[in-house]
This record gives sequence, C-alpha cells and structure tokens, in this order.
Amino acid sequence: MVKMKAEDVKVDLEEMKKFKVENARERLKFIDFWADYIKTHSDKEWSRQQNMLIDSQIPENL
Amino acid sequence: MMEYYPDKKEIILDRELSNLDRLVIDFCNLLDSYVLVSGYVSILFGRSRGTEDVDLLIPLMSYPQFNKLWLKIHENGFECVTNSRTDDAFEMLKKHAIRFSISGKPTPNIEFKIIKTDLDKYSFGNRIKVKMGKESLFISPLEMQIAYKLFLAADGTDEELMSDKDIEDARHLYKIFKDKINKDELLIFINKLNVKKRLKWLK
Repeated sequence: MVKMKAEDVKVDLEEMKKFKVENARERLKFIDFWADYIKTHSDKEWSRQQNMLIDSQIPENL
Repeated sequence: MMEYYPDKKEIILDRELSNLDRLVIDFCNLLDSYVLVSGYVSILFGRSRGTEDVDLLIPLMSYPQFNKLWLKIHENGFECVTNSRTDDAFEMLKKHAIRFSISGKPTPNIEFKIIKTDLDKYSFGNRIKVKMGKESLFISPLEMQIAYKLFLAADGTDEELMSDKDIEDARHLYKIFKDKINKDELLIFINKLNVKKRLKWLK
C-alpha cells in the first residue's frame, strides 16, 4: 500500500460522529450486559474476570 | 452473589481481591476512620475499568494526630506523592487533597481529603461497611454515589455524556443495586445536585 501523507487524509466528520454515537451506545449496552452478568454469577466468578483487567494494570505489590 | 442489607448499612461481597483492592485495604487498615468515595466504589462492585486514583475522605485531625498517621503510613510501605514534608502536607490538606502511593510507584494512588462539605459529612455519617471475608472497607452510601457520579460527568451534549466514565460508573452502580437502593433518597440527591436531566442515563 502506498504510504499516505497526513495532509492527503480525508475525514468524513458526519461518519465519524455516527461512529462516536454508536460506540458510546455499545459501551452502555455492555455496562447493562455486565451488570446482569454480575447479578447472575457468583462474586468469585465475575471478580476473577474483572481482576484480569485490573491486575494487568496494577502488578502485585507490597 | 453480593448481599446488601440497607438497614444494617452492610454489604457482604465474596469477591476475589484484585491487586487494587489489596492496596486499598492495606492503606485503609492504617486509618482509624474514613470513607471511600467515587470511582473505586463502582470498581469494587465490578465495574470493568482501571483507575489511577482512589478517593478517600477522613475526619479533620490535629497536627500531632496527622504526624502520627504520616509516620505510620510511611512505616508501612507507602509514601506521599504530593509532599515530602509532614508540615507542608498538613497545610496542603486543609485546602486540597494529598496523595499517597506505594513507595516508588506513584500510580495508582490514594487521594486523601478532609471531610468538609455536607455531602462529605453525609457520606461519612452514613457509610456502608463492605465485608469481604476477613477484610472490610467503608464506602459512601450508594444513593449519593450514583447522584454524585451523574453530577461529576462533564457538561456536554448527549453524545458527549453518553461515553463519559462518570455516567458509566453511575449506571453500573444503579443497575447492580436498583432493587435495593432507596429511590426517594436517590431523588433527593439528584435534585440537590441538579442532575435530574441526567437520570435518563441510568435507565
């Protein structure tokens, strides 16, 4: 693929705006899905999954 | 499954502790009294996001009391990120937050503030004990947390608000506890914080 220059990049802001809204809507949907998951699974189970995310950012300490 | 007993102001949580939880518990165990507020409350109950800081409120203390606590904190592997001298930290704490972290690791850190406003006083006075096996933490009442998170979201259009992390935190807490929280109390705080228009983000 030809290497593009930054000044040649065309941006459709209307399309980008739609993408932004859709992305945010998906995030809210995920929050609802995850809240349902938490309410229907044991604390140990959901927290094990959540910890994969948190512990990847915060290594074991002290 | 977590159990919330509003009358006892107690939540039983059987979660596996994350490294962040351990850090918060280790720090809070050094304090006589405190209340955890804001983002960490949502994370404790499963919100799937990381954080750079954990907000904590403590009652006003004298300089000798603060100095004693300062030494205790430092003797237990933490350090103050914002101040190197006790007297400076004490002065700063009167107006601003100071931050503590594990020595040599500035993030995540504990943002440490004195109880000042009525909202702070309410949070502390009505705090909820979260029991996790042998450990426990004190958190702000959920009704106030949800309203406060809606308030914290930056001003903006619906499109902007839709992806705001504070809106997401409020929605997460509401979805988890909606059958147990006191709706009247939630509305009182929604009105006091003037965020009625943002209620739609919870539904």
